[in-house]
Amino acid sequence: MRLPTGLTLSSTFYYGLLTLLALAYLVPVAWVVSTSLRTNANLLRADQWIPDPITFEHYTSGLQEALPDLARYTFNTLRIAGLSTLGLLLSCSLAGYALARWRFPLRRLWFYGLLATMMVPGHVTLIPTYVLFRKLGWLNTPNPLIIPFFFGSPFATFFFRQFFLSFPRELEDAATLDGAGALRTFRSIVVPVSKPAFVALGVLHFTGMWNGFFLPIIYLQRKEQWVLTQAIRSLLGRYDSPWGEIMAGVVLMTVPIVILYLLVQRYFVQGITFGGIHG
Amino acid sequence: MTVLAPLRRGIHMWQEVNPRERRRWLTAYAFMSLQLIGLFVFILGPLVVSLYYTFTRWDLIAPAPKWVGLSNWEHVPGDQRIGQVLGNTVWFILWATSSFLILSLALAVLLNVPRRGTTLFRALFFLPYITSQVAVGLVWSWMFNTRSGPIPVFFRHLGIEVPNLLLDENYAMIAVAIVATWQALGYGITIYLAGLQGIPGELYDAASVDGATGWQRFRYVTLSLLSPTILFLTVTSFIAAFQLFDLVVILTGGATGVQPGGPGGSTRTIVLYLYEQTFLFSERVSGLGYGATIGWLLAVLIFIVTMTQFRFARSTVFYLGDDER
Repeated sequence: MRLPTGLTLSSTFYYGLLTLLALAYLVPVAWVVSTSLRTNANLLRADQWIPDPITFEHYTSGLQEALPDLARYTFNTLRIAGLSTLGLLLSCSLAGYALARWRFPLRRLWFYGLLATMMVPGHVTLIPTYVLFRKLGWLNTPNPLIIPFFFGSPFATFFFRQFFLSFPRELEDAATLDGAGALRTFRSIVVPVSKPAFVALGVLHFTGMWNGFFLPIIYLQRKEQWVLTQAIRSLLGRYDSPWGEIMAGVVLMTVPIVILYLLVQRYFVQGITFGGIHG
Repeated sequence: MTVLAPLRRGIHMWQEVNPRERRRWLTAYAFMSLQLIGLFVFILGPLVVSLYYTFTRWDLIAPAPKWVGLSNWEHVPGDQRIGQVLGNTVWFILWATSSFLILSLALAVLLNVPRRGTTLFRALFFLPYITSQVAVGLVWSWMFNTRSGPIPVFFRHLGIEVPNLLLDENYAMIAVAIVATWQALGYGITIYLAGLQGIPGELYDAASVDGATGWQRFRYVTLSLLSPTILFLTVTSFIAAFQLFDLVVILTGGATGVQPGGPGGSTRTIVLYLYEQTFLFSERVSGLGYGATIGWLLAVLIFIVTMTQFRFARSTVFYLGDDER
């Protein structure tokens, strides 16, 4: 067998090498699962890759004891990730569509303005927005992590613009001739056929919010507002930590995201490579 | 005056066009409205206000910021910790981006064959990328522990005693870079693969006919045609590495019994320092003001580095079918 670069490999060697690399790469994953299934007595056994005996107590009673409000944190996380995704998709698809479809005064200015702000790290705008949200009484509410996304994001708008540019406009022209308004045309014709863009960007953003930590520790300091990352992190003790429960928590918070990606895999790969190629 | 030119052109256009065209403009602005409000309220406005904060001192307790002129900026060159923080960040960027760019390219080349099963391998390598940095940090902080962690145990079997890297001032940042690379590889592989698949196979054949060796094919065909992808990944990975925070907080704060940024401040990054100066009440220089100054410093650094990369790219990046330009 030949790699396009000209390297010749036998098939056995190729798969052997890949398997070896994948196994080495996934050592930490195996380690998490293994640790989460061990009894407390075996937690520090370096030789127990396959736990003996296997126990699920860290997932059940263990986590319940360590994090009694786990359901609450899960709800908080879902609410933030879900609503902010909704807002982002709404505001950015509309703006991206306008930028891609219509010529209007100052269009280039807005487009290049948005493009330029993509390079500004969020940490520069963080402090004034923090002061603003504090004034609005939004500290220790999920609002700072949700509301801004209803008002767009340069990257997502740019992403949608690129997507709609590559999208034939004949369908919409027909609808417009029928007398449908722009918003109705957008909703009933454009959105349904743009599913890959919405799914890719939605999943990307949802995962980012689900996994997020920096903004939550700034805005959500009260325990009842915590998200999952904060909750699991809180299990770390200064001298001693319940590693069984921590690893069980890591598994539990990762599994939903993995399932989500498996469900939308084909859209997603289109979606993230899009930026790299056309960007 | 050039700034006002598009505005004047806009007014002119408005007066010239027919009512139907005007209605379309209004529709366009209605569609843009949420994003435009956001652009001003959450990006441009805060950008200006944050620049203003760099000239003030404010602890959030006083009713308003107090103007202190250039004192925050003057404090920067003499601030030993900022020197250390910049050094740490650069050290991290060098390790993390170079290992990320090289290793994910190697794996992508290996996976870029029409073979059964490569999709499965791609998915496996992608798993850490979609996992939270908090989860990844927790796992790896336990991986490095000297009693049962797989890394020290593996080396012990080889007869080498390694310390907990995260507790060693000289190695802690490299350990963080290892973890960051491990997590990001799947993303790099995916992007590289998309680039590799855009390279026409005939080019390799042509190169072979011309007598190019395997290495030469890789160097002059693969790397040349991949250069736009490499540029994209280089720019984005530098920007991401400049903003390292979550991973460091988890890897160095709590589990190993030290404050985030330890040991000895050897893993304190720019963003972590910004966070400490803004939101932690101990050891503040001037509260929000100094935090905002660090934020601006970060933005300027990212801007300079990105521009330098693009400038360098002008002479090295090769676009297929771009001969006319």
